[in-house]
Amino acid sequence: MSTPAWILDIFAALMLVVAAVSAARLVVLRPWRLGRAAVVADIDVSHLLMAIAMAGMLAAGLSTLPNDAWAVVFGVLTAWFAYQVTRDVRREGSRALAAGHCAPHLVHAGAMLYMFLALTAPAAGGGSGMAGMGGSGGMQTLSLPLLAFLFALALIGYSVWDLDQLSGPGAGPHYSLAVPRPVPALVGAAAGAGASAASAVALAPDDGVALVAQPGLADQAASCAIPASLTGANPVLAPWVATSCRIAMGVTMALMLVLMI
Amino acid sequence: MSEIAAAGVRPAWRSKLGTGADAASRASDARRVLQLALAGVWLLDAVLQYQSFMFTKAFGQMLAGTSAGNPGAVASPINWDARLVEHHTVVLNAIFATIQLLLALGIAWRPTVRLALGASIAWSLGVWWFGEGLGGVLAGTASPLNGAPGAVIIYALLAVLLWPADRGGKPAPFTAARAVGAPVARALWVVLWLSLAYFALLPANRAPQALNGMIAGMESGEPGWLAAIDRAAASLVAHQGLAASIVLAVALVIIAAGVFLPPPAARATLVLAVVVAAVIWVVGEAFGAILAGGATDPNSGLLLILLALVYWPAGTTSSPEHAPVSARQEGIPA
Repeated sequence: MSTPAWILDIFAALMLVVAAVSAARLVVLRPWRLGRAAVVADIDVSHLLMAIAMAGMLAAGLSTLPNDAWAVVFGVLTAWFAYQVTRDVRREGSRALAAGHCAPHLVHAGAMLYMFLALTAPAAGGGSGMAGMGGSGGMQTLSLPLLAFLFALALIGYSVWDLDQLSGPGAGPHYSLAVPRPVPALVGAAAGAGASAASAVALAPDDGVALVAQPGLADQAASCAIPASLTGANPVLAPWVATSCRIAMGVTMALMLVLMI
Repeated sequence: MSEIAAAGVRPAWRSKLGTGADAASRASDARRVLQLALAGVWLLDAVLQYQSFMFTKAFGQMLAGTSAGNPGAVASPINWDARLVEHHTVVLNAIFATIQLLLALGIAWRPTVRLALGASIAWSLGVWWFGEGLGGVLAGTASPLNGAPGAVIIYALLAVLLWPADRGGKPAPFTAARAVGAPVARALWVVLWLSLAYFALLPANRAPQALNGMIAGMESGEPGWLAAIDRAAASLVAHQGLAASIVLAVALVIIAAGVFLPPPAARATLVLAVVVAAVIWVVGEAFGAILAGGATDPNSGLLLILLALVYWPAGTTSSPEHAPVSARQEGIPA
C-alpha cells in the first residue's frame, strides 16, 4: 500500500496554488517589458515550473511533460542558479549561501533534477508516468537514497529558516510582510549611480513605477527576488508571497524525496 | 537592446539585503537557531510519518511490539492504542503526521513558539509511552545503541531546555541553562547520560554477542556502503560485548561529568558527546533506518548531537553583538 492518494492530492492541490500564485506574479510583473532585466522573474518562473512538475508527480492526472523533458528543464534551472550562486559567493562569500539569496533555489532546482534523473521503476505494478507515488501503480523509488536524504535535510533547513525569518524582527526585504511600495525619485537614484543622461530613459509602466534604461545595471542582477522598485504597490508581488511559495514547495519536495527513498 | 534596470536601485536593494540579513542574524541568537534545528527534526519526523509503511497494519503491530517486557500498567494502554491504530490506521496516522508537521511549523513561526513547544512536550510524552513503550527503560531492553531512553523523550527535553524564557541574575553559562537555570540543566544532562551508561551495562547489552547482533541487525535494507559499515562495526565487537560495553559506559560517564568542568574541558567532553552520538546514529541506528524506508523518526543519535550543542559553553565576550537575545527581542510574544 502506498501513502493514501487523498494525502498526496492535498499536497498536489497546494502545488497548484503555488503555480497559480507564481503565474499571477509573472502576469503582474510582465517581465517581457524589462529586456535583459527580465531575469528578476527567474524565481517565479522556477516556482511555476517546479509546482507544475510536483503536482504531476503527486497526482497522475496532473502529469504534463515526460520525465526526460522535465529533467532538461530542471537541468537548465540548476545551471542558472548555480551561476547565480557562484556570482553571489564571489561577491559576498559564504553569506551568499543564506536563505535570502539564490542558494535555496539552487537546492530546489537540484532536488527536482535529481528526482527526475534518479527515478527507478515502481516496486510493484506499473505506474503511469512518474505519478504513481500514490494510487495502485506501486511506489517509485530513487537511486542514491543518501542524496535524497541530504536534499530533504537541506530543504527542511531552508524551509524552517524561511518561516522563522518571515515571522521575525529585522527581516530583510525577502521576508517583509508589508505590501511593497514604489520607490520615488528613481531617476535621481539612477543619476546617483552614475548613469549618463543619454543612457537613462525613463519608462512609465501602468503601475506607476518608473523604470530607467541604464547600460550595465542588468548585469548586476544577481539577486533572487524582485527589487522593491519593480514590484509597485501590488500585494501579489510582495516578497513574502514568493517566500511562502518557497516554503510550501520545500516542505512538499522534502516529503516527496522521503516517500521515494 | 536596451538594458533596463530599476533606476540604480538594484545596488541599493542589494545593500538593503545585506543590512536586513545582518539584522536577522543578530536577532537569531544561538537558542533560536537551536529551536529551528528542533523544528527541522520535527519536520523530518513528520514527513517520515507520511511514508507508505506507516499507513499499513504493520504500524499498529509495531506499536504493540513496544509493550513487550513492560509492566502491565504500562503495557495495557499500549496494546489498547495499538489495536485502535490497527483498526483506523489511515486516519490516525494521517492525524499523527499532521500534528508533527504543525509542531514543526509552529516552532519555526515565532509567534507560536511557546504554544508549539508546549504541545511538543505533551505529544512527546504521549508518544514515549504509547509509541515507544517508554523506550524499553522498564523492560530491560534499552540500549544506547538502539535509541534508549527513547528518541522522542529527547524531543521533550530539548523543548524544555529551549523554552523561550530567561531566568534573572547572571548570564547563563550555556543555552540549556537560560530557561531552567544551570543546576537543573546540569542535573538533566547527568541523568540522561548516566542512564545511558547504565543501559550500556545491562546484562542484555553486555553479553558477548549482544552488540554484534544489534549492529548486524541494522544491515537489512540499507544501501551497500552503510551495510558495509555496519558489517565492519559488528565484526569489530564480535564476542567483545563486555569490553565494548565497558568502554562505551566509561565514555558516557565522562560525558555526563563534562558539564561540571571548566569551559575548555567541557567543550572537549561535548565534542566527545557529539562523536559518540554520531557513532550511535550511524553505526547503531543506521540513520534511524531512514535510508531503508522504514523509519518512524531519525532516532536518538541526531537528537543527542543537538542536545550536546544546547550545552555548548557560551562565549566569554561581553560585546552586545554576541549577547544572548531575549525572547521578546526575538519577536516571540510573552
